[in-house]
Amino acid sequence: MNDVSIDTGLATATPRQLAWQRFKRHRLALASGIFLLLIYTLAFVCEFIVPYKTDTRNVQAINAPPMSVRFFDMEGNFHLRPFVYGYDMKVNDDTWMREYTDNPDKLYPLRFFTRGESYRFWGFFEFDHHLFVAGQGGYVHLFGTDQLGRDLFSRVFYGARVSLSIGVVGVVMTLVLGVLFGGLAGYLGGLMDRAVQRMIEVLQSLPTLPLWMALSASLPVEWSSIRVYFGVTIILSLFGWTTLARQVRGRFLALREEEFVVAARLIGAGKLRVIFRHMLPSFASHIITTATLAVPGMILGETALSFLGIGLRPPVVSWGVLMQQAQNYQVIVMTPWLLLPGLFVVLTVMAFNLMGDGLRDAADPYSTGGQS
Amino acid sequence: MSEVLLEVKNLCKSFEGVVAVEDVTFDLLRAETLGIVGESGSGKTTVARCILRAIDPDTGTVQFNSSNGWVYLTNLPHRELVPLRREMQMVFQDPFASLNPRMTVREIIEEPLIIHGERSRSRRLDQVMDILDRVQLERDSLTRYPHAFSGGQRQRIGIARALVLRPSFIVCDESVSALDVSVQAQIINLLEDLQRELGLTYLFVAHDLSVVQHICDRVLVMNRGRVVESGTVTDVFERPQENYTKLLLSAIPSTDPDVPLQPLDREQLGI
Repeated sequence: MNDVSIDTGLATATPRQLAWQRFKRHRLALASGIFLLLIYTLAFVCEFIVPYKTDTRNVQAINAPPMSVRFFDMEGNFHLRPFVYGYDMKVNDDTWMREYTDNPDKLYPLRFFTRGESYRFWGFFEFDHHLFVAGQGGYVHLFGTDQLGRDLFSRVFYGARVSLSIGVVGVVMTLVLGVLFGGLAGYLGGLMDRAVQRMIEVLQSLPTLPLWMALSASLPVEWSSIRVYFGVTIILSLFGWTTLARQVRGRFLALREEEFVVAARLIGAGKLRVIFRHMLPSFASHIITTATLAVPGMILGETALSFLGIGLRPPVVSWGVLMQQAQNYQVIVMTPWLLLPGLFVVLTVMAFNLMGDGLRDAADPYSTGGQS
Repeated sequence: MSEVLLEVKNLCKSFEGVVAVEDVTFDLLRAETLGIVGESGSGKTTVARCILRAIDPDTGTVQFNSSNGWVYLTNLPHRELVPLRREMQMVFQDPFASLNPRMTVREIIEEPLIIHGERSRSRRLDQVMDILDRVQLERDSLTRYPHAFSGGQRQRIGIARALVLRPSFIVCDESVSALDVSVQAQIINLLEDLQRELGLTYLFVAHDLSVVQHICDRVLVMNRGRVVESGTVTDVFERPQENYTKLLLSAIPSTDPDVPLQPLDREQLGI
């Protein structure tokens, strides 16, 4: 070692700091992480971010296309305040479809951080400020509207709250089940191990989709939306824990014989201390990675179930519920913007996968962080 | 002759039908160093681990002369062994695998004190500092992680962890085998110094006979799970009775580079 300063810096760096340094080198994973942080924040405060509530209808704009935010009007004048043009609607005589064009007379400036529709923030307190609303009695639909004239932009972010949280809640339940059963099997071994192993094999050999469908169909129709939400989460995690449990079991079996674990037992450490102080920390990074990679599965599961009409049901808004509107050919041809929730699903799932890859590389002390 | 510290009688252990240790019996005297030698797979490590109950023996007894009188180590439940850990500890073979890579040196050496109920932080730190001096490690090592140390330094950390509770009995399980020769000498000298200062008793498991010859007072030779010969180091090394011992001794390289190594032939000896 000729560089002493670097040497001492690394010597006192915690394993977590070292992992963070490796993760930072993984540009795509870092970008995905930032994207996820952003979209989760937006979903968390979605009442404030979006201009309308999920059930607010604008009868002047049914099946209207997305608006674009402009700085230059049709005469080419620059406006410091961004604005949108209102719609001119005309029913096409041949197709009987509504056709919308921009109306230069309906110029609605966007006003930021001002009063709009009042809402209850997380159902707790009344508030009426929004990130942006259309001024002069106008309306703004950045992602267009659906067949009832509801603002799709607002619905996508309300839906994000449900879909994104189902991923996290589901994964937390998966983690609890997986670590519990995997830990029991790996640490106790013997009969317990064999019982858990067989259970995992049976669960993994079942075809998931039909089983999800059967279980979801058995959720009572009269259940409130919040109970259905948790019902769906439990169904998803009931089948998701097996992979994690296997990994945890394997790590436990390997670590039980590690010398530093034997050493801990020999200085008199109790079972709990051995497990939580010595064994869990050395594979916590693997658990985090697996969990991150499991979130998209949960989100896709919810989307699939709701898309098929057996998961969440309106009036709950989730990405799957929104996609349900885009089930037919007519939508794809006439109102393609209703597919936008699908884009969000794709982006989120991809971001989770990329970030999971980055975490996996960062957790591996021998990786080069994506660069050879 | 000083008093007996440890009495092992008819110890047996097999792993899924494979016999690892068969009918091993020996005594260990206070403040002496007893070596157990034998080739790989002869069961010497298993004996060491059975004594400290890192693994549970099948049959046989181990009695330990603790500060509260004689106890049977072999049939105590693990919970009741915990207080006895103060008096008997182990130094491991692999200084890389035996230290938790996610703990700092301070946390590693402090942990036994925490487990055994030393609540005062400052008193813990004093003891850690004291032991650090004894094993000749720098004081600024405390905040570092094991990956920042060389093999010899790590083994010093392992020794510090074993000694911080002030045990009277230490099992050294191939503790110098993984180190290179010059570092081996340092660690052996350290172990000998500590033995003199603290009155330690060592059970020294090794396959390197020259190390055993140097450090031990008495020696057991093991082959295929059984003790084939035992006696003082001088007796065993100069007047070996068993063919197996002769075979082992013939495999020690001479310090004179011109003397060729001529190990005996197994088949000629009928082993």
